[in-house]
Amino acid sequence: MDKKSQIQIGETIAVLFVFFILVAIGFIFYVKVIQSNLEQEKDEASQLRSVGIAQRVMFLPELQCSEDNIITDNCIDVLKLESAKGIMKEKELYYYDMFEYSSINITQIYPTEAKWSIYSKETDDFSSKFVTNVPISLFDPAGRKYGFGVLAIETMLK
Amino acid sequence: MINKKAFEIQFNWIFVLAAGAAILLFFTIVVVKQKGLAETSTKASVLKSIEAIVAGAGVGTDTTNTIQMPDSAIEIGCNRISIGGVSKQYQSMVMFAPDLIKGSKLVTQTLGFSVPYRATNMLYLTGQQARYILIGDNNLAKEINKTLPSILTKEFHKTSSLISNKNNYKVRLIIFGDIDANSIGMGSLDKMPDSDVTAIKVNGDDQKGAIQFYQKDGSAWSLKGGSIYIGRSSLIGAVYADTVESYECNMQNAFSRLNLVTKIYKGRTEVLRDSDLTERPRCIDTYNGALTQLNKIYAASSNFNNINVETISEAAKELSNQNKNAQKYSCTMIY
Repeated sequence: MDKKSQIQIGETIAVLFVFFILVAIGFIFYVKVIQSNLEQEKDEASQLRSVGIAQRVMFLPELQCSEDNIITDNCIDVLKLESAKGIMKEKELYYYDMFEYSSINITQIYPTEAKWSIYSKETDDFSSKFVTNVPISLFDPAGRKYGFGVLAIETMLK
Repeated sequence: MINKKAFEIQFNWIFVLAAGAAILLFFTIVVVKQKGLAETSTKASVLKSIEAIVAGAGVGTDTTNTIQMPDSAIEIGCNRISIGGVSKQYQSMVMFAPDLIKGSKLVTQTLGFSVPYRATNMLYLTGQQARYILIGDNNLAKEINKTLPSILTKEFHKTSSLISNKNNYKVRLIIFGDIDANSIGMGSLDKMPDSDVTAIKVNGDDQKGAIQFYQKDGSAWSLKGGSIYIGRSSLIGAVYADTVESYECNMQNAFSRLNLVTKIYKGRTEVLRDSDLTERPRCIDTYNGALTQLNKIYAASSNFNNINVETISEAAKELSNQNKNAQKYSCTMIY
């Protein structure tokens, strides 16, 4: 092989090397952009999921206030709550489909302070955690009195 | 000298070929991987949309929606939804749907399952390419026609007639009253696969009744099984579900939910009865009467079968009366 040909092959190898480096840089840049988009999407999905779980809690027939099948919005029946808290803990696996990894607590602020924990399934292996607080009225059918409280839903997402 | 030159030229070509092949291989791998990823991503996003529909179903009652999504084939089984290789399993899902939904337009409907208090929302899912043919002239047929969304591909015939083929991938006939399934002419539906042409025959009112499930067998109908319904929402479920197995799986899930909700109403009514103990004897009687019915519903909701449906239907009527009594005597209502 003469010197001219060796130089030609060397040039070609150098061009290919530069070409592959440019492709690699482009690929790394593309992956980074995709990763950041994915993170953003994951974050949005997590927030949506958290709000979704909060909505599902609010519309549970096990907790909702109703009179003659007419539902009162943003209201939780205290007597149903008392019954439901035991049942929902007992049937944790059944409710996992609806609430996934989350803990649901109801706190009465007025007229007296009280707290109910209705569902709790937590994991240490979570990537994000969201807390959604919903102001609610708490109806006590035995005393026919309304109270005021907060429904707190803490959602953990893997 | 000549040999050396020839070797140089050959080596050059081999080198160019190898480098070209490497570049081509690299881009082919990238494109193939990207294509696979895009396909999986589309399937996953469709599945996510359906998951959102299932989750949202619990929130709104009596709603109808059309959802536009990438053209796909969604397979629905008992507590399972899958698209291609991506699937989602549920512990207990109340979603009545044909076993296969094709097309880019999904139709969803929700109705409350109340016997007599709301236990859950029933979700119905189908594609706009599926065809529903209602045949009958009684009030129930008219009511069901009104309840089914207008955006659905549906037809209403008062009498049995020859059914034409309109190139739908699935055809479902809903026959009411005394019309015999075999009196309905299959017409050009004859050429469709047997599993894609199904029918139900309904005997009953909007409270409860019997349903017979049929499937096309050549140019005749073959009876595949029978079941029962309780309430209009359950009957609508039988309209959407393809098979008796799918219908009964969903009804069993609805009954499991009814069982849980009834347990809560039982606990609530016991507290109401005990809190009113000394003050209002009429309220106590009402609550005691209600508790008897709630106990019946609780026991009967453990399993979906003919006897339990009868028991729940009777107990629901009684409980509804007790609820009216509670209102009449100014007691706190039972539900």
